[in-house]
Amino acid sequence: MSSRPAYLFLLPALLLYGAFVVLPILQVTAYSFFSWDNGIAQDFVGLDNYARLGSDGVFWAALGHNAIWVVLTLAFPLLAGLLLAAILAERSPRTIQMMSAIYFLPRTIPLVVAGIIWGWIYNPLFGLLNYSLDMLGLGNLAGAWLAEEGTALVSLNVVGAWTFFGFCVVIYLGAIQSIDPSLYEAADVDGAPWWRKFRDITVPLLKNSTLFLGLYAAIEAMRFFDLIWVTTQGGPGYATEVLTTHVYKTFFLVGDYGYASVLSVVLLAIVLSLSALAFRLLRVK
Amino acid sequence: MKRTLWGVPMALVIATQAAAQDSVVVTQWDQFAQSGITAAGPAMDELIATCKPALNGAEVLRTIAPSIGIRDSYRLAVSAGKTPDLAYTWPAASVLSGYARVGALAPLDDYYAKYGWDQVNEFYKGRNSYDGKVYGLPMEQDLMGVYFNKDLFAENGLSVPKTYAEFQTLVETLKADGIIPVAFGNRDRWPATNTFSLILGLTAGRALEEKVFFGDEPWTNPAFVQAAQTFQDWAKADTFPRGFNGVGYDEANALFLSGRAAMTITGTWVLQDMIRGAKFDMGVFMLPPLAEGVAPGTMWGEGSQWQLSATASPAVRDAAAAYLDCLVSPESRQVWVQKGYTVPIGTTPEELAKWGADPVVQEFFTAGLATPDTNFYDLHTTLPESVTQVLYPELQRLVGGEVTAEEFLQSMQAAWETAGTNGERWLP
Repeated sequence: MSSRPAYLFLLPALLLYGAFVVLPILQVTAYSFFSWDNGIAQDFVGLDNYARLGSDGVFWAALGHNAIWVVLTLAFPLLAGLLLAAILAERSPRTIQMMSAIYFLPRTIPLVVAGIIWGWIYNPLFGLLNYSLDMLGLGNLAGAWLAEEGTALVSLNVVGAWTFFGFCVVIYLGAIQSIDPSLYEAADVDGAPWWRKFRDITVPLLKNSTLFLGLYAAIEAMRFFDLIWVTTQGGPGYATEVLTTHVYKTFFLVGDYGYASVLSVVLLAIVLSLSALAFRLLRVK
Repeated sequence: MKRTLWGVPMALVIATQAAAQDSVVVTQWDQFAQSGITAAGPAMDELIATCKPALNGAEVLRTIAPSIGIRDSYRLAVSAGKTPDLAYTWPAASVLSGYARVGALAPLDDYYAKYGWDQVNEFYKGRNSYDGKVYGLPMEQDLMGVYFNKDLFAENGLSVPKTYAEFQTLVETLKADGIIPVAFGNRDRWPATNTFSLILGLTAGRALEEKVFFGDEPWTNPAFVQAAQTFQDWAKADTFPRGFNGVGYDEANALFLSGRAAMTITGTWVLQDMIRGAKFDMGVFMLPPLAEGVAPGTMWGEGSQWQLSATASPAVRDAAAAYLDCLVSPESRQVWVQKGYTVPIGTTPEELAKWGADPVVQEFFTAGLATPDTNFYDLHTTLPESVTQVLYPELQRLVGGEVTAEEFLQSMQAAWETAGTNGERWLP
């Protein structure tokens, strides 16, 4: 049977994909080989813009922050999601349904809104967090969470984790419910405690879900922008600068389209590599 | 019959199209909102109607853009070849000359000659020029000063400082009384630039600033180091509220307006909101010089300027220029003052009194305009964008105590040299 009709059906989608994904990528790549003045292309400069990457301290700082974000996201929301899902899986269906909805709720909030909400919570003048610490007699722990270089990135990651862990719970819960119950019954017969069943049955059998969530989190961690922009704009200093905010500033605020395009190409290469890795690993599994 | 029925709408369409081709439409972008920064919307609304005859049949198609974001929107418009015919945007100096350099703006010299916009002095004209031609018509003027809570000063037996030593004593007294001396919030990154511009000018003076900005004097000179050190010292000494790098500009103003802080150091661009929000007797004073031998003065600039697109047709440019002449006329200046709390260039303190401007407006401009020869530069409306985008984070680090004054200025010097190499710097 000819595959031509199938291609015909795919054609509209391919055309749209080409126009709105492939073409802009090619365009940005082309921009990266030119010098720009106030948004107007000047001269072809070959790889000169790429050579600037090595001496751009902000780029390396931003890349480092992205990497820290990935590690923290893998460490906390995934772990918390896994534990909560394992605990929740043993409860009644009604409890599971209700708690899943509660945990998932932050995921439905746009990151811009989450940023505004948490900006208020962290606010050093009237923030709920410092107020609560004061009420609990822990006023000495109160801080300017988003205003100090030492705490800003981690504080923002807490917000990211808050919006992501519910998603992990739901994914893990679905996966746990697909595990053959006879495995747990056999472990019960052997008198295995809860943590042993969790370590030797649940965790190994959730490897695919963990892989999916880990790679998904890593890709998202490279792409996120809105949360940072509405809360700190990459500050204080460069403490929460990530690749996307660096691209934004270089493009929209400085007007250096050539170098902003280089940064975009690098970001694209990283995200594509992670995506390729994800596809490869998930296919192998 | 059928033919007749079709013929009527077709004729109407053709006639409408012909009329549209004949009419002149001036697309205008401005930042005159109803509240917040540059809240002169009511004045702009009134003047569009008042100045309609000056347009000689042309129409104004207006878009209001937020003051902070308009400079970014304008850059995108330039790069997309969609520059509005007429824009009231900021900044001038390096950024405006950058647009002139790439041919995005129309020179205004002929219109200056035709309409005699003599109120624009050489300082302002220079900031709106590139390569010997004028590309902007600055209108309002921004000044920096210290807003203070007169009631709170009176309750605590405090008086307006005449010297920097008195200002320091005032700050210490307020702290001892448990009052935040200066409301300051720098989460938005730009407010520290204004505060530092003021400190810099009052420490280094205009002449030295010009040697750095237009000559070979490095940013790391001793006076600049002293200014950066002073700013950092203020922050370390709890002159500002806790966590000021995480406090928004509006939140800092609210802190002052709520009476929790005694002073706030900011500009005339927020006069309307301050006057409307203050539930106490509010006053303004000029910060005294911070170093020996430096003359009194304040940071000033045009705030924003009107500029014409190079792609606008001659008819559109002529109409827009006539309309601009109306917007900056003495009669219109009175409207800007009374309805917009905006004081256009050329307005005298006597006129402010005659037109019944708010006492705070009079106080601010009388003091600020008394020192025209020593008033100095606002950094983020003077420097190229590439340097400004280094200034913002580095100032956060300076006041946050993450870098020393010398390290801050070394970063500025490096960015400055790169901007020089790339031909981005503005020379008057």
